[in-house]
Amino acid sequence: MPDPFAVLGLSKRPLLSEEQIGDAYRKLAGELHPDQLGGDVGRFREIGEAAAILRDPSKRLRALTEEKSGGLLPEMAADLFPKISALIQRADSLIEKQLAASNVLSKALLIAPLRAVSEELESLLTQLRTWHTSLEKELAGIDKAWPECDHNAMNLLADSFAYAIRWEGQLREMRLALDAALA
Amino acid sequence: MIAGIDLGTTNSLIGVYDSGFPTLLANREGHRLTPSVVFYGENNQILVGSEARRLQSIHPERCISSVKRLIGRRLGDDGTGGMRGTKGTAATITIGDRSLLPEEISAEILKKLKAVAEDRLGTEITRTVITVPAYFNDAQRAATRKAGELAGFTVERIVSEPTAAALAYGLDRLAEKSKIAVYDLGGGTFDLSILQLDNGVFQVLSSHGDTRLGGDDLDDVISKLLIRKACIKIDSPGSSIRLLEAARAAKENLSLLEETVVRLPFFDGTKSLEIPLTRSEIDEACAPLIQRTRLHCLRSLEDAGVSASDLDEVILVGGSTRMPLVRKFASEIFGKQPNLSQHPDEAVAIGAVLQGAILDGSLRNVALLDVTPLSLGIETFGGLMNIIIPRNTTIPVKAGEMFTNAVAGQSGMRITVLQGERELANDNWTLGSFDIPFPRASKGTARIGVQFSIDADGILQVLARDTTTGNEKIIEVRSAVEVSDEAVEAMLAGSLEHAFEDMDARIFTEARLKAEEMLPAVETALTQLSTELPAEEVLEIRRQAAAVKAAMESKETIRLKQELVTLDNITQNLATRLMEKAMM
Repeated sequence: MPDPFAVLGLSKRPLLSEEQIGDAYRKLAGELHPDQLGGDVGRFREIGEAAAILRDPSKRLRALTEEKSGGLLPEMAADLFPKISALIQRADSLIEKQLAASNVLSKALLIAPLRAVSEELESLLTQLRTWHTSLEKELAGIDKAWPECDHNAMNLLADSFAYAIRWEGQLREMRLALDAALA
Repeated sequence: MIAGIDLGTTNSLIGVYDSGFPTLLANREGHRLTPSVVFYGENNQILVGSEARRLQSIHPERCISSVKRLIGRRLGDDGTGGMRGTKGTAATITIGDRSLLPEEISAEILKKLKAVAEDRLGTEITRTVITVPAYFNDAQRAATRKAGELAGFTVERIVSEPTAAALAYGLDRLAEKSKIAVYDLGGGTFDLSILQLDNGVFQVLSSHGDTRLGGDDLDDVISKLLIRKACIKIDSPGSSIRLLEAARAAKENLSLLEETVVRLPFFDGTKSLEIPLTRSEIDEACAPLIQRTRLHCLRSLEDAGVSASDLDEVILVGGSTRMPLVRKFASEIFGKQPNLSQHPDEAVAIGAVLQGAILDGSLRNVALLDVTPLSLGIETFGGLMNIIIPRNTTIPVKAGEMFTNAVAGQSGMRITVLQGERELANDNWTLGSFDIPFPRASKGTARIGVQFSIDADGILQVLARDTTTGNEKIIEVRSAVEVSDEAVEAMLAGSLEHAFEDMDARIFTEARLKAEEMLPAVETALTQLSTELPAEEVLEIRRQAAAVKAAMESKETIRLKQELVTLDNITQNLATRLMEKAMM
């Protein structure tokens, strides 16, 4: 895989905004899309892959340290994991029951527990959001000191981002499912 | 020259790019909209458009409308309930002694549009771009392409409807940079797409939708409302179609007026009906359907990583967005007044014309970056779906993963290609499967690389390669409707076995399961509300619960079903109270 920063013509650093990446991607995509005169499907796919890496702060950091994920377990992740997995299991089983319920009475009985799970989910999402914000601050700090850097700190931060983003996605997905079950 | 076609559920349009402008072409009656209705007469006579629509209430058995709802679907999918044939095979429609595939019927509509264009332009038109709902799956897209080929076209591109509408909107705003949502509620389908417009580049960020939600469903709900209001009896397919037509007309009137009168002269042969109807009545009846669009909007925003306040415009297209209720919903969901600058019936067709112009080089410096709307992956050990290309990935794209054998001594792997968002493989759409052999290997030692690539047309190619021997297989998934003969035979064998099962036993089991679910629910509900319910009601419910138990023991199917219905009815109030309590 070629250097994703070089592929998109962006300077190599930890902090890049969604807008910077999107603008660089779209400018090239408009020229390289196979429908265009002089389009190039191989390079079109390449800029797509590069943009996907750079948009994800975890993968972007790994691209800078050039080290694969070491499976580090940040303290916060160890703390949140049991809560999140328990909540997802409970919500899944309630939603499944709600879908399977064939009468109004059984459905009505599930509303209170569904709402309780939904409240708990909101509180976990807030915790995740707070954690995510603190990670972003840390990233800004690393960017400020750039190009001086501590690879270990960057790798730990990369794994922290990976957990935070993944769980936020899962919980937001679950929020939509709960929303539908309660509608 | 590449023509652009909007092949709609209710109406279809065709246009071309002419001296720098997209132009839609009118049919002989002078209308740009051609109704998507096909009439199959005796002696192989075929009529398309308004002529066919006029014959619909007289010869309902010879007219096909809304065929788009069936295209690319297999029997056993939602909405093919009344169709005949083997489960899992393509849905066919029988007219007289002819058995027709939906794509053959769509092809008649496309032939008519081709004739309209050739008639207007005086030249032959052979190349086209056809639009489909963004949320159409691979099989539905492939069947639409097939319809175009049957009509004598070279189909240069299948393009998503909301994306096309975005092109139409953005054409005179090419220098701008903005984020928009396109809310497209047509005759039979709903899509919500979010796009980033940036100096002529139209990038789709996400798309979600429901391929079974549109104006047809609203007409259906309104006609049921009319049946309730006037205690109408429907005794023939013809009267059902007349009622649907009246419902549609009332819906259209009530987009402009607050109230109307539905007139059905000599409805049952002698009696004429006049039913007053208000906008708020139909709004109340239609609200649950429109409410269903909300979740798709939220999912689209979520996938695009955009919040409603980030959007510069929410563009409404599709005939059903004329309904004030729909506009109100859209403005509530997104928290802003929707943009009504686009012609609801024409924007998609204009966009198709523009995509054609991009492809033949007459429209420069405009690029459309579309996405694959549904996740693609393969079935893994344990019946789970392993996603290889997630939904809303920009196409063309290529992605792959390595797999290994889960069982010792395995000498081959079956690759089943899936499309959909569910965790279990069986809940998703199977696009096809093939076997890749490898030398007998101990557990976890085989190395099979699976690579998916989607071209700009959305056609998926799957390659599997045994990396130790270099042995590889490639399949192109063009039409997922084709099912192998053995598969059909296996399905037939399955259905024959079931046919001889004791029907009564099955119905009793269903009723028993329902009772087993219901009785503890009643008990819990009574405990939770014990202090708030009148003693008589509690007593009545307990008595009925006992009756259900007794019926279960008696093993009498009909008795059990009846007692359950009664229990269901007398616990309605209980359910309502529970819901109110939970909402407090």
